[in-house]
Amino acid sequence: MTPILQRSADVLRRLVRRKGAMLGLLFLGLLIFSTSLARWILPFDALTQDFSAILQGPSRVHWFGTDELGRDILARVVYGARTSLITAGGAVAIAAVVGVPIGLLAGFFGGWRDTLLMRFVDVLLSLPGILFAMALIAVLGRSQMAALVAVGISGIPSFARITRAQVLSLRKRDFVIAVEALGGSASYNMFKTVLPNSWSPILVQVVILSSVAILIEASLAFLGVGIPPPTPSWGEMLRTGKTFLYDSPTYAVLPGLVLTFTILSLDTIGRALASVLADRHEIVADTEPAVGSRP
Amino acid sequence: MIGFILRRLLQLLPVLLIASTGIWAMIYAVPGSPVGTIVGENATPEQIQAAIVRLGLDQPMAVQYWSWLRNALVGDFGLSIQNREPVLDLIVHRIPATIQLGLAATVIGLLLGVPVAVISALKPGSWLDRWLSGWSALALGVPTFWLGILLILLFSVYLRWLPSASTYVSIWESPWQALRNVLLPALTLGVYVSGIFARFLRASLLGELKADYVRTARSKGLPERDVIGRHVMRNALLPFVTIVGLMMATFIGGTVVTEAVFTYPGLGRLLIQAISTRDYPLIQGCILFILVVFVLINLAVDVLYAYIDPRIDYG
Repeated sequence: MTPILQRSADVLRRLVRRKGAMLGLLFLGLLIFSTSLARWILPFDALTQDFSAILQGPSRVHWFGTDELGRDILARVVYGARTSLITAGGAVAIAAVVGVPIGLLAGFFGGWRDTLLMRFVDVLLSLPGILFAMALIAVLGRSQMAALVAVGISGIPSFARITRAQVLSLRKRDFVIAVEALGGSASYNMFKTVLPNSWSPILVQVVILSSVAILIEASLAFLGVGIPPPTPSWGEMLRTGKTFLYDSPTYAVLPGLVLTFTILSLDTIGRALASVLADRHEIVADTEPAVGSRP
Repeated sequence: MIGFILRRLLQLLPVLLIASTGIWAMIYAVPGSPVGTIVGENATPEQIQAAIVRLGLDQPMAVQYWSWLRNALVGDFGLSIQNREPVLDLIVHRIPATIQLGLAATVIGLLLGVPVAVISALKPGSWLDRWLSGWSALALGVPTFWLGILLILLFSVYLRWLPSASTYVSIWESPWQALRNVLLPALTLGVYVSGIFARFLRASLLGELKADYVRTARSKGLPERDVIGRHVMRNALLPFVTIVGLMMATFIGGTVVTEAVFTYPGLGRLLIQAISTRDYPLIQGCILFILVVFVLINLAVDVLYAYIDPRIDYG
């Protein structure tokens, strides 16, 4: 086995030994499994309407009941997972692809480049994520792409800050100074020495930010400015379900339960991963998301 | 001290300038033109031309920006497209509701969070600590809009104790009605911040408990109650003030989702209504206002922190 595989296997082994992380991984696994095979394992799809069966409670046929158009809520929850996971994945990718280089450059060079880049990050950070997303959607209009980009941009600061902090601490280490002393170029040092040693805190941030991204996407949909219907989305289901609280209370409760489990799973895995990596001395301290980053 | 405040204010200038430029520019990034939204769909070319001249849209960009910024500086964000009222009036009108909700949520957050933090910090690693830490994780993870829906189901649909849609009633005019209306939204937000408060204060207390002065106080026979109450708490509360302030700052604009759950008439709901009706002057005004207040509260927290902690050098 290559060293990187060995390392990942060890981290995974330590991770599943923790009960909370194990449960979280199981739940996410089930979610990903069912949403990718939804077409074959579910008896209903997310869009077929049946006006003879509207706003039913949970039954043997419809496990989660039906919505106001007679659509199967379980099917909509499972297909909604796809919307949620794709949006979150895309958003985290944007945030990492832009944020990590910013943190790398700012931390490595310092000086005016650091000041300039971090001031830009401060501006982004000065607006709560959900407000920024809403402003962007006001401009771009409602679409999955707009939600994805908006959530992605608001995630840039956390990657930039985490990477910068890691780079600053690596900058003083002997092996980085040695590369510099031996005449290694700045770009060689940054990408071949510093960056490979920064992946651990970045990985933790990926997990934590996925949870935040899922929450913001659902919040936007709940506010009616997220992904437009009829695409199934958890936030949208809660929004509509809320208007039928008297007729069909499970309509809003069950999709919300799945959303909450997803967020809690990612949070728990993120915290466990941080503590596993801290045990292996790969990151300095536990990595908490910035306070107030949530809607 | 004055110098410190002034310097921090100066540091804010570029942030505010860049952000305001972004907020101003967003209207030009809108597909189509904002004029269309203003004059309506059936406007004649003459009407459109008149609106363009009236709004100054025929001027060079730099001139437009300068006049917008000059007006925004004195709080003039123009008229709302939707109901032709000054944007500033609409915003100011919503402030008391948002402040009342934010303060109530902070109080609930402190009432729930501080005891949790103190109890778990006194017995770190115990089963009680583990349960309480789990509770904090739950409070942080549960989406506020889902918690709000559960609370409405319990207290409004089943028990019928509280209204499911909250209106704003001033606490000074009718304390009972105000409490009935603000309780559920404040509880929703309060549970979430109690998770932040508990986690932060616990870490802060544990850090202090390791300090030398605690060992000294214990070894000279000071009762544990005094060690905690008179020494540890005071020092641990110092950084905690920052977090409480930060949360209050986010409440100014961050109650959007909770306000939507309970149809509570605060600033966040105004912004949502503005976005759904594409009322651009109102959107710009709301976002700029929230941003400025957010940044200023952050500054106030920094200043307060420097003031109460003599170790911080603000010279």
